[in-house]
Amino acid sequence: MPRLAVTALAALAVLASSAPLAAQDTTAVRIGIRYDPSQRPGVLVLPIAGVVGDSLRIIIQRDLDYGDRVVVITPDAALAATLAAGGSINYPLLAKLGASRVVQGTMTPRGLHVALHDVAKAQVTDVAEFPLPIAQNTRDWRAAVHGVSDQVEAWISGTQGIARTRVAFIRGSVVRMIDSDGEDDQAIPMLGEAMSPAWSPSGAQLLYTTFGVNSRVVLHDLTTGRARAFGQASNTTNLTATFSPDGSSIVWAAAGENGSDLFLMPVSLDAPARRITVGRGTDNVQPTFSPDGRRLAFMSSRAGHPEIYIMDADGTNTDLLTVSDFGDQNYRSSPEWSPDDRQVAFQSRISGKFQVLVIGLRDRTSKLLTSDGENKDPSWSPDGRHLVFTSNRSGTSQLWILDTETGRTRQLTHTAGSRLASWSPRLKP
Amino acid sequence: MSTRVARRALLSLALAVSATIGGCVASKGDIRLLQDELRSMQAVSARADTVRRAQADSALRALSVAQDSMRALSARFGNFQAATSGELYDMARQLLTIQEQTGLSQRRLQELRATLEEKAPPGVTATPPMPGDSTKPAGPGPAQLFQVSVDQMRRGSFGVARSGFDELLTRFPRFEDAPAAQLYVGQAYAEEKNATAADSVYLLVVQRYATSAEAPKALYKYALSQLAQKKPDLAKQVLQRVIREYPRSDEADLARARLGTIK
Repeated sequence: MPRLAVTALAALAVLASSAPLAAQDTTAVRIGIRYDPSQRPGVLVLPIAGVVGDSLRIIIQRDLDYGDRVVVITPDAALAATLAAGGSINYPLLAKLGASRVVQGTMTPRGLHVALHDVAKAQVTDVAEFPLPIAQNTRDWRAAVHGVSDQVEAWISGTQGIARTRVAFIRGSVVRMIDSDGEDDQAIPMLGEAMSPAWSPSGAQLLYTTFGVNSRVVLHDLTTGRARAFGQASNTTNLTATFSPDGSSIVWAAAGENGSDLFLMPVSLDAPARRITVGRGTDNVQPTFSPDGRRLAFMSSRAGHPEIYIMDADGTNTDLLTVSDFGDQNYRSSPEWSPDDRQVAFQSRISGKFQVLVIGLRDRTSKLLTSDGENKDPSWSPDGRHLVFTSNRSGTSQLWILDTETGRTRQLTHTAGSRLASWSPRLKP
Repeated sequence: MSTRVARRALLSLALAVSATIGGCVASKGDIRLLQDELRSMQAVSARADTVRRAQADSALRALSVAQDSMRALSARFGNFQAATSGELYDMARQLLTIQEQTGLSQRRLQELRATLEEKAPPGVTATPPMPGDSTKPAGPGPAQLFQVSVDQMRRGSFGVARSGFDELLTRFPRFEDAPAAQLYVGQAYAEEKNATAADSVYLLVVQRYATSAEAPKALYKYALSQLAQKKPDLAKQVLQRVIREYPRSDEADLARARLGTIK
């Protein structure tokens, strides 16, 4: 029997047994469905009337499904039409379909009115009106609908969804962006051949580095379209730039004839770059900040072959993070600190192929997350649950998304040569 | 008179002719002689040239051989140097790897010790009491105290972390990670925006544990703290002290780089 049903029955039993006492005891008893992360509740999105009703319903259903926190129930059109016939919700039928929550959307002159029903309680628990742009099916309109989905997910699970996010990546030396649901793949104007895009914490700027003779770090403002470049020097290649979590600094790797080191520079670019690693001729690249900005993980070859290290953001207290056996020639790289500060995702070469793993920051135990094809360059979603990574499992280099809790994967891009993904923060309206 | 004059003229002419004819005969012989001598001299000179050329060739050959030998020697020396430096490089790398592995093992050991201490009955610690520790521990052992305090630090509970480290330093002053605990106390103060307290603790680390790996870190953090407090002159002095007193530390390298960016 589904756990939710058991919970509901138990709740009813408690209600029945406590009824005689209710008259004497003034303490209120609250009965309802509580979200349990190990048990995904069934959610049904009712048909939405109007010209774009079908589009709205499909986008919300897909967003909730991709969030991996609920099970989306999709009855056929005829059955769906009977669930809210005559304006009243058929809770018993919805319960039989396995739905514990129902999303009811109504188009208004300003946007979309959404009500969330609790089937067990047979009542509306949450309600809000979301403004939508007048121009339908545009980028902004779709983003606004993703925002609706994220709020519905927050009502159900207590955690904001990740639908209103984008993934920046590289295809053919060009920085591109794609919505978290795989729609709206677009390129941004470039200064040179790009590598390793990274989002600012606000989501308003993108960093990337260019390679070649005039290698630079480029700060691209997505609102104004303007770009500022720095770091150009002779015989120097700039690599893997990233923002500090407060958005005030940029850390990147500058590689010359004598290895590479990490440098820190204020975003205002009004102070000289400051070296924060002591590579002594080795490679030190791929910095990633802890969420509090106090520490950095990065890849270094200082002990022979590439491993992942952690240090204080000022360059002191460098410490080896990844564990390797002596003589192990498989190396570990591309670290990405999780938003919940519990683990670091990275790639390791296993039997000649890269695979994605996570290592716990407390117990330092690793967990292999992929095995199908070659998988690399992981990047966390803002909810700290999903990873986007590059994989050749479909035959070509594509971006894939993995739910680290269930192991469920889905393909994000469908054009060959997509790689080096970076997941945005939750984007503001 | 005219006859005498004519005779004299004839005699003079005859003498001149005879002298001319006689002179001509002597020159030819001399020329031959001279020619012979010249030939002979040329032959001698040619022989001498040949000998000299042969000697020069021989010397050149010897030089070339010597150069080849030198080249071969140099190449051998170069190979030897490359092999030696390669081996030295490999050895240095292996040493670093061993150091890293050792560091990792120590950390794992530390964590295991903390776990053991956690599981041990109250009053029993997995770490033997340190010499000089007069107080018998009645709570968590030093490794556990250290680990718990580090965890609090990571969570951003700086006050709690500081209390843990302080307790550790009071109860187990000779614990192997006491310098790191002391440094964490300074960092906790810094996170709490108490720069004065942080600075004094950084200097305390240098004073108490001058030979530990934490001393240059503390001194470097002290310098950065002075920079943040807009005291560049003092910061420069401290950075120079890091370079002078701990020249082989990573912090000395960072200090050199930092000095170059201070106006």
